[in-house]
Amino acid sequence: MSLVLKGVMQSPITPLKEDFSPDLATFEKMVDFHVRTGATAISWPHHKGESHNLTISERKAMAEVAIKTVNKRVPISIHVSALALEDTYELARHAQKSGADAIIAITPYFWKYPLESIYNHFVNLGTTFDMPLIAYNSPDYLDGIEFTAELTERLLEKLPNLIGMKDASFNSERFFEILRVALPMRPDFAMIAGVEYLLPSVCLGGKGSYSSAGAICPNLVNNLFAACESGNWKLARELQYKLSQLWHLFRDQYPSSLKGGMQIMGRNVGPTRAPLPTASPERIKHIEKTLAELGILDTEPHGW
Amino acid sequence: MTKFHFGLVHAPLTPFVNGKIDFETFDKAIDFHIAQGAEGLAIPTHAGESVSLPVAERKALLERAITKAAGRVPVIANVSEAGTGIAVDLAQHAKAAGAAAVMASVPYYWTPPDSMLIEHFAAIAEAASLPTYLYNSPHEMNNVKIKTPVVMALITKSSHIAGLIDVSMDWQFMIEVIADASRVKPDFQLVAGTEYMISAHATGATGFLAPTAIVAPQLMKKLYEHVCKEKYKEAHDLQVDAAFLYRLFDKHGAAGLKVGAKLMARDCGQARPPLPIMDGVVVDEIAHELTKVKALATEKRGW
Repeated sequence: MSLVLKGVMQSPITPLKEDFSPDLATFEKMVDFHVRTGATAISWPHHKGESHNLTISERKAMAEVAIKTVNKRVPISIHVSALALEDTYELARHAQKSGADAIIAITPYFWKYPLESIYNHFVNLGTTFDMPLIAYNSPDYLDGIEFTAELTERLLEKLPNLIGMKDASFNSERFFEILRVALPMRPDFAMIAGVEYLLPSVCLGGKGSYSSAGAICPNLVNNLFAACESGNWKLARELQYKLSQLWHLFRDQYPSSLKGGMQIMGRNVGPTRAPLPTASPERIKHIEKTLAELGILDTEPHGW
Repeated sequence: MTKFHFGLVHAPLTPFVNGKIDFETFDKAIDFHIAQGAEGLAIPTHAGESVSLPVAERKALLERAITKAAGRVPVIANVSEAGTGIAVDLAQHAKAAGAAAVMASVPYYWTPPDSMLIEHFAAIAEAASLPTYLYNSPHEMNNVKIKTPVVMALITKSSHIAGLIDVSMDWQFMIEVIADASRVKPDFQLVAGTEYMISAHATGATGFLAPTAIVAPQLMKKLYEHVCKEKYKEAHDLQVDAAFLYRLFDKHGAAGLKVGAKLMARDCGQARPPLPIMDGVVVDEIAHELTKVKALATEKRGW
């Protein structure tokens, strides 16, 4: 249970062939690219990796590829959230068996349920699988279903393997409340911003982030974390403002614009599965213009 | 336009005796806030029960604050209203009375589209002809947000738009708005409308509105001084206390804040209806919660 999360961790895109089937060869390249460009950990498949649009057997097959490709160079966690909790357990069993270092799970989708149900679900998950567990909080997308500070406190009391939380609230009050109760109980507990909003989270005591833009501009995201870590806040602001522009560019029909942007960087990862659209040539042109304006084309790696 | 720097702004409560504004206590409050480090005063904010004050009282209260402050610190007039005409009248009055700036929320009750928000704010800025701050507080305003494109349109439309006071605490919005706005208008200011000063300052906020300063002014001053020097780590414990106060009085509202003030021996009476009379159990609860705030041990009691 000694896994400590820190820095900019990457959650790879899921490359697809033109017929929308998983492109395993490119997936290996994608995972390897992230490890080589400084990811402190890998986690797959987040929503960025189109988790919802993959079958359970596809998720298992690709998880194996990811774990094998990472090959213990950095820790890897597998995202086990699914609409049906039976699938979540199946994915978690598979992740554990396949050698994942941790599992990550969101509050269950769709239903409106009391806090007690979140508590029971995470206690079950955390006690069934003897491995590090990362909680995933996304109140805006899940209509206010979220980890409160009180709930997090109870889970920390019960689960020694709850090592961190991915927080996609992007909100000072929510982020700081959880951190405020968690840190005194577990100093290594990692509050992780859902994407690289490192400037407002690291200053509050956050440990790092997952990444949206890392597939496009790993140098920029790594430099931002380094600036926050070293207290160079002026530089951090400048870099975060750039990344904010990229996030607003990519979050529209996420992750199809991101996949479109990767083409420009010479890392083609194919189309996006329905109901998400595949980025149109016009959209890609627009993205290219923004990347050029931000200086990304000249400062970031092209190709794999 | 003269450059106006927001800084650390306190939001005095509006004291009442027998339902009427207690101007004598208000005078004491103005002196207190200035002595305790306020760099500006916002009159009357929601904490000051602005929405429970008829227009004539709002004007009288603003005039009194400006007279009493007597140039020691600038006074910012809150001219938020449901009707644009009434807000414009308040804005004109603010200018005539000698306010240094105005602030305005989206119109109450209505849920206007962006085009109407632009007209509303532009009319206020024009009438005030003073630095104008947009007050973005979606959770108080039926989730009506002042979005970045609205701010950008307003900057183009009026040179008086000076900044945005953010209560959303939404990093995606705060960073987008200050990054985009400052590219077009370099002196555009982001102001934190809540006590979460560390993350706000890191994102680029230079102003801070601190409604709980009536309870813990020295805490606010220390936190403000720390974040201005970018001593974010050192400010952690101060932020814990400030966040606790924010959440406590977000829960109990302006009436609860008056209880907090009274517990610090700064009695401003009860809040006006429809806010509840606070006594008995609630007072005990707030008193109990305040014992958890370490910083209060060194705060002054009384005026």
